[in-house]
Amino acid sequence: MRELEKIEVDTLVVGSGIAGLQAALDLADQGYSVAIVEKAPSIGGKMISLSKVFPTLDCASCITTPRMASVSHHPRIKTLTYSTVDAIKREGKTFTASVTRKPRYIDEKECISCKRCEEVCPVYLPDEYEQGLGAKKTISIPFTNAIPQLPVMHPEHCIRCGACARACPKDCIEFLQEPAPVEIKAKAVILATGYETTPMTAKKQYGLGKLPNVISPMAAERLLAPHGPYGRVLRPSDGMVPGSIAYVQCAGSRDKSIGVPYCSRVCCMYAIKQAILLSGSLPIADITIYYMDIRAFGKGYEQFYNNARAMGINFVKAKVARITEDEKHNPILRIERQEGDSAPAEVKHELVVLSQGLLPGCDVSKFNLGAGLNDFGFVQLSDETVSSAVTAGAGVFAAGVVKGPRDIPDSVVDAGSAAMEAASYIRKL
Amino acid sequence: MPKKILIITTNHSSYPGADAVGQARMGYSANTYVIRVPDPVMFPEDFYLNAYDKGIAGIIIMSSGSDCPYEGAYERLSKRVARVYEKMRARGIAANRLKLTTICTVCRAAFLKEISEMEKAVAAI
Amino acid sequence: MDEKITEASSKDNYRQEPKVGVYVCHCGGNISDIIDVKAVAAALAKYPGVAVAREYAFMCSSNGQDLIAEDIKNLGINRTVVAACSPSLHELTFRNVLQRAGVNPYLHEHINIREQASWVHKADHAGATAKAIKLAQAGVEKVLRKDPLNAIRVAAEPRVAVIGGGVAGMRAALSAAGKGLEAVIIEKAPRLGGKLLELGKMYPSGEEGPAIAGKLEALVRADKKITVHTGADIDFVGGFVGNFKINFKNADGTSSQVKAGAIIMATGYQHYKPAQGEFGYGEDANVVTLPEFISLMKNSPAGRLEYSGKEIKSLALIHCVGSRQVEGIHKPQADGKINDYCSRVCCSSALYAANQVKDKYPGVRIYDVYRDIRTYGMQHEEYYDKASKDGVLFLRHNEADQPVVTSDRTGHTVKVKDVLTWGEELEVKADLIVLVTGMMPADISLIRSQMKMPVGADRFLQEVHLKLRPVEMANSGVFIAGTAQYPMDVPEAMAAAGTAAAKAAILLAEPDIPLEPFVAVVDEHKCTGCGLCPAECSYDGALMMSEKNGKKIAVVNPALCKGCGACVAVCPTRAINVAGWTLDQFDAMVEAIAKE
Repeated sequence: MRELEKIEVDTLVVGSGIAGLQAALDLADQGYSVAIVEKAPSIGGKMISLSKVFPTLDCASCITTPRMASVSHHPRIKTLTYSTVDAIKREGKTFTASVTRKPRYIDEKECISCKRCEEVCPVYLPDEYEQGLGAKKTISIPFTNAIPQLPVMHPEHCIRCGACARACPKDCIEFLQEPAPVEIKAKAVILATGYETTPMTAKKQYGLGKLPNVISPMAAERLLAPHGPYGRVLRPSDGMVPGSIAYVQCAGSRDKSIGVPYCSRVCCMYAIKQAILLSGSLPIADITIYYMDIRAFGKGYEQFYNNARAMGINFVKAKVARITEDEKHNPILRIERQEGDSAPAEVKHELVVLSQGLLPGCDVSKFNLGAGLNDFGFVQLSDETVSSAVTAGAGVFAAGVVKGPRDIPDSVVDAGSAAMEAASYIRKL
Repeated sequence: MPKKILIITTNHSSYPGADAVGQARMGYSANTYVIRVPDPVMFPEDFYLNAYDKGIAGIIIMSSGSDCPYEGAYERLSKRVARVYEKMRARGIAANRLKLTTICTVCRAAFLKEISEMEKAVAAI
Repeated sequence: MDEKITEASSKDNYRQEPKVGVYVCHCGGNISDIIDVKAVAAALAKYPGVAVAREYAFMCSSNGQDLIAEDIKNLGINRTVVAACSPSLHELTFRNVLQRAGVNPYLHEHINIREQASWVHKADHAGATAKAIKLAQAGVEKVLRKDPLNAIRVAAEPRVAVIGGGVAGMRAALSAAGKGLEAVIIEKAPRLGGKLLELGKMYPSGEEGPAIAGKLEALVRADKKITVHTGADIDFVGGFVGNFKINFKNADGTSSQVKAGAIIMATGYQHYKPAQGEFGYGEDANVVTLPEFISLMKNSPAGRLEYSGKEIKSLALIHCVGSRQVEGIHKPQADGKINDYCSRVCCSSALYAANQVKDKYPGVRIYDVYRDIRTYGMQHEEYYDKASKDGVLFLRHNEADQPVVTSDRTGHTVKVKDVLTWGEELEVKADLIVLVTGMMPADISLIRSQMKMPVGADRFLQEVHLKLRPVEMANSGVFIAGTAQYPMDVPEAMAAAGTAAAKAAILLAEPDIPLEPFVAVVDEHKCTGCGLCPAECSYDGALMMSEKNGKKIAVVNPALCKGCGACVAVCPTRAINVAGWTLDQFDAMVEAIAKE
């Protein structure tokens, strides 16, 4: 272990997705100091890996990057990436967080982000940023617009050839780097730990994630991103351009059998958005969305849905009972229509996206901060008709999906109010 | 001397887009000169004509399009560019030496495509 | 944000003879392996206006930064060009070097010869080098034409005016006051609480509307930083960021004025009122709206759901009345528009009400006529589940096949082409028809027209950007809280109001509001008063014609200008420019680039 680094701030923000970034900015811009801790090597959360975002179809990166830059340049915000919050202790009116900076195996202060190490590294790994659709090097900067632009080495895959160390113009490869402990003292904590999607393996009926052309919506986001793994939409099994694509809605929500009885709020809209983007990049493809109810409830959403219908995207009220595949890995959907002909039918598509739901990104009860959780592991508020951020734990506030599924506009709005509650709390201490 | 292409980018989206091309180590020819502005709507029609007079062979305006942070700016810009085309025609400057396009912060392929098309246009001069 | 330099530089650099220092970075081979950095420095050293040109392994390192600081100290360098990586990485680093050395930080130009040269021209060393020289020369031309910039400051009233005293307005005032700001609530009704005062039991808490409003009102009344004006009839709203004025008549006929640095619009919604005859509304007494039904339920005796003295044994809920309207199917509203938006809260409200009926009066039959059930919230799906379990009968229709309500002596009939039974035409009898009506924005036409506030196609107040600036209006210093922006439930309104207060608190964090210096600037000597530029400006009041010393000239309000430069392009005399980005700079840059 390296020497203990001590940081003292007004507020600790856990998580640097769009909610955490916005909460940090809204506090720092009011004059408060903030430490933001992110477990991934870059700030930006899930949003930075999306293609375009509904309902305005602006490029996700174009909206997230300026926020990331503002946070990383802000004189009152200290950003710790590739770091885990191991514990948070409450002592009187102060929180003390024990944080570990994971080793990147490079000298972070000296690195000039030139990627020479990455260029010469001979070992390729599946790239989780590309949802496994692409490859990355064992030492690499996580993605194009990552902040900070620092590479991470994965020692478990490194073959110790030393090519990176020889190529580095700053001599900053440190094979023996150890984790570094950090202690953060703060007056308030904002939990913004976001979500994970329901697993692809959740449903036996949907192939347990083993059907190659049944993909996650996050993978579809990468296929659609202008800087995606293939630069175009190809299906995983054989690299074919799919001519017929289907979305299975509520594939991880409104489903008691997988413990997610709630609506995940975002899936209807992301499916519609992806369908619109797909019909832009594959004009002759057939796109079908199998759904129970289309929940286009936000500002401009109903019009967005209507546009999708006008573009010729098929919306079919049906439940998908089972997904199998043929010998060419074309997914076969067994559907039960809720309108028209009700007889169960089998429909073949070339690519299927399972509209997964949202689960809590982190079990925040492990911090013992007094913030209650609901049955599904999301943070429960003290009285949501009075404040949208105050939890039962004094000085502990919640922003974004940590409280339950919500979309980007709702998360951004939510974060501001969490910042405001934290600001009032600190002022009254 | 090679024929020079002037690329007008925006602080908001296409300048970072040009950076993304570099970060991905993609390549394009060196006769390209990127300048950046808050919004290309600031340039009067004469700015473009003067640039041709000075010896610039081709101009690509990479705007932020619908991601433009300024109200009404993109509509004004496209109208202005239409007037520049008229003036170019009057002066006998080929229309394909000016291009108005939209480039986002990660639109690497589109960036390269615009350059290669402009390369062809200026090669024909 | 990162562009904001809050402290003025100590020296008045632009009066000095310009002395440019050019610094070319090797980036440890990232640049120098492709570009001949020595050749670049040598070419620049000879360039007019350049006092010194150097190349160095890592300009961003502390040694590299010291190199510049030393030159400023020893050689009197007062403008710098650094040719290195992208400005997104290190422009701020070098501006800070200038600032620390006493030079205005904006007298720096950052040239990108890594991401946009050495990394993309690997096979063409000579071409990349020639390009780097040209770009650096263009940078010198630009920096020679730069003026020092300082943040513009506007004195601000340290107070937030909240228009509307419903739950969103009260939350916004509480949050602003929590931060220590003075907040003034201006409410036209005689009481605080807004629409909630009319409502009964509400999801998600099960409290009655007035009780929810009461909790917030108690907090508001206890907060010394909040002033409340009820019965206030606003007749004027004007001014700009930092200095707004709101005039209103009090209930007693006297007039008052509130001065505020920021305004929060918490003007709320009105229930959609069905047209005469819409599903029989207004013609048949047993057709009521959901809000009317919720009050009716409140006043019903235990054990018997009653309306006009008669027992209600069955009821039919019809969703999407006044929402999700379709051109050609629905009649337009008075303004000629249809309500094509989803009102967001009505599905959950309707099912929550249906469940209460089933709990209190289990014998009542309920039919729910819908298109899509949008119980999107965490607990909301439970309302749907419970209703299904408790025997609410759901009938689903397509938008083109609207349900039809008829009444005769035997009662009320709803005819539905139900897709759940494969398009069968079903008829259900009900004692009471409940129209699940949506929300429309409250009428705030006076304020909107005086402030020229933008609204969307749905007539709700329009934010600048749904994700980047979701509660800010194009009018600087004006923020939106709650249902004035779009339908939302109470918890959602709490979030929006808290954020509106956060934005106001950020704006008013200091006594003076620092504004971006990158705004339009008029050269009064060159301006001929032709009046072409204001027509190009999209921001109301940012650019206007005015009289000065008997001469007509264009005047910029820096508090309203966004610095887009639309005005710049039309000025025949080049009298107007965006500070930091002038046309002369770009002309000179193009000249330098084009030169053989």
